[in-house]
Amino acid sequence: MRRIAIYGKGGIGKSTTSSNVTAALCERGLKVMQIGCDPKSDSTGLLLGGKRPLTVLNAVRGGGSPALDDIVFEGYGGSLCVECGGPKPGTGCAGRGIIAAFETLERLGAVEHFRPDVVIYDVLGDVVCGGFAMPIRNGYARDIFVVTSGEMMSLYAAGNIAEAVKGFSDSGYARFGGLIQNSRAIRGEDGKVREAAEELGTEVIAVLPRSETVQECEAMGMTVIQGAPDSAQAEAYRSLASELLRRSEEAAGGLRGM
Amino acid sequence: MKIIHPRPNPIVAAMYTLRDLNVDVIVVHGPAGCCFMASRMLEEAGVRVVTSGLMEDDLIFGGSESLVETLKMSWEKFHPDTVAVIGTCSSMIIGEDMDASIKKAALPCNVFSVDSHGCSGDNTTGAVKALECACRAGLLSEGERDRQIFLMNAATSMEKRVGMAGREYLSPTRGPTKLAAARRIADALGSGKRVACAMLAKKELAFRFADMFIALTEAKEKLGGELYLVGNLDGNLGLPRIRGYAEAICSELDSKGVSYESVGGMDEYALIGGRIKEKVDGFAPDLLIIIGIPHAYPELFPGNLLVTDQPRQLANYLSMGLDAVGEVSSHSMVMGVKSIIPLETGDTLRELLR
Repeated sequence: MRRIAIYGKGGIGKSTTSSNVTAALCERGLKVMQIGCDPKSDSTGLLLGGKRPLTVLNAVRGGGSPALDDIVFEGYGGSLCVECGGPKPGTGCAGRGIIAAFETLERLGAVEHFRPDVVIYDVLGDVVCGGFAMPIRNGYARDIFVVTSGEMMSLYAAGNIAEAVKGFSDSGYARFGGLIQNSRAIRGEDGKVREAAEELGTEVIAVLPRSETVQECEAMGMTVIQGAPDSAQAEAYRSLASELLRRSEEAAGGLRGM
Repeated sequence: MKIIHPRPNPIVAAMYTLRDLNVDVIVVHGPAGCCFMASRMLEEAGVRVVTSGLMEDDLIFGGSESLVETLKMSWEKFHPDTVAVIGTCSSMIIGEDMDASIKKAALPCNVFSVDSHGCSGDNTTGAVKALECACRAGLLSEGERDRQIFLMNAATSMEKRVGMAGREYLSPTRGPTKLAAARRIADALGSGKRVACAMLAKKELAFRFADMFIALTEAKEKLGGELYLVGNLDGNLGLPRIRGYAEAICSELDSKGVSYESVGGMDEYALIGGRIKEKVDGFAPDLLIIIGIPHAYPELFPGNLLVTDQPRQLANYLSMGLDAVGEVSSHSMVMGVKSIIPLETGDTLRELLR
């Protein structure tokens, strides 16, 4: 099983990218589980036709004991969609929520039951407390990729995440796989992202062009793979999906790799 | 220096300070087990200590509901005049807005928060925080607040200089029995020598250490010799509850015909060693007994007899070659008492003379 985490600054297009990659991999006949790790719980919306699923944390809140079917939803192409969920802004601790949600998924044997070929964690990358670093640690994700544009704040967040991954690498946890450029069409963008990648000792593994198709499909509550399968943008996502498969490591184990 | 032996924490120090301010109810905003040993002791002392009992759900989604409910239940059960909500590590890490919950609960009494947590450093940082918050809530004057903070800092620096906070690790010890100590005292008085006893007791512990004054007075009546007793028992100084302790102890000592001198308040133990030493030096004793927090006395010699309540402190004294005995369970024994209780060293002396 491949264990891939996709990080990035809020609003940079992580969820859109993750969902399109998931859809592209499903199209090839792979079983993919996408786990949204953001209290906004909007990671899998495009795979679920805009529906908001019950989050893991809401399902266990107040002593609830959900079954896997209550928290894992089938989306486009047979994708398995999970949202960790979390508190309202300004209260509680979303990081602790990620940890608790993972514990729940592990306790329920989500991976053992569904046996996905790929698990994709879609993680908010602005917050760098222990909880949001969870996918990087303890064997959950093996390969970490960061979605970024050429904008400074986005590259800055990418740097932070790369640093966190490096900090954990001595413990034999995840490794940094590279940057995914989600273009915003700013001047000299390709060069800026490439430069940043070099500074981080990594590379740009894919460049997704800016495209109106993405917004058009989102308005329909769909990924580009579903809504505009023949578009150039769909091809770009397919090519990114291949690249992620090529660069990630197959490892045995349950939710955590061995 | 990294100190690794178990020691008090800022949350507990804040709770004790709130007790001294006669706060009726302390709400510990944290998990049910947090500070429970201290909470039970404080309950013995008549303070109602309750917990908001945070669970994982609260950590993730916020603990406001739990706190509001706990506050409302506290009102229903106790009808207090003052309630203090204290923060713990878990609630403060997740940034709980305790004041917002207090406002939401809207109890018809004085409720205030103390944003203490366990990782703020010396335990006295919690006490200082409690004093500052209580002052804003109108429970004590700014002058008394500043006096207390000054005393806290003095106590902290004393412990670092000569106490347990100056050692990386100390194993607890129960030390020797009190027999040899009682013999030394009896021998000194019996041969007509001059015996002085200096008490530097920390707050409620004086309820137990003061028994030494009574036992020594009884021993002098039987054996003769000269006796001088001095202790930090000034009832005009300190927080309300502590003044009450001093008054109770002094009136009991007076009623038992014990003759003693009072120097400094019960919260001034860290500061008044020098003044007490002057008094003792004026008496020029052959045997000096120092009880309570002996290392608050400016100079300790192997010829002195020390009586402490702290098992780790006792280990510290013994390792320095001093003659010391431990009254190690004193803290739990004095919680909630209103009169002097027997000190084992005192009782051993009594038994020896029976």
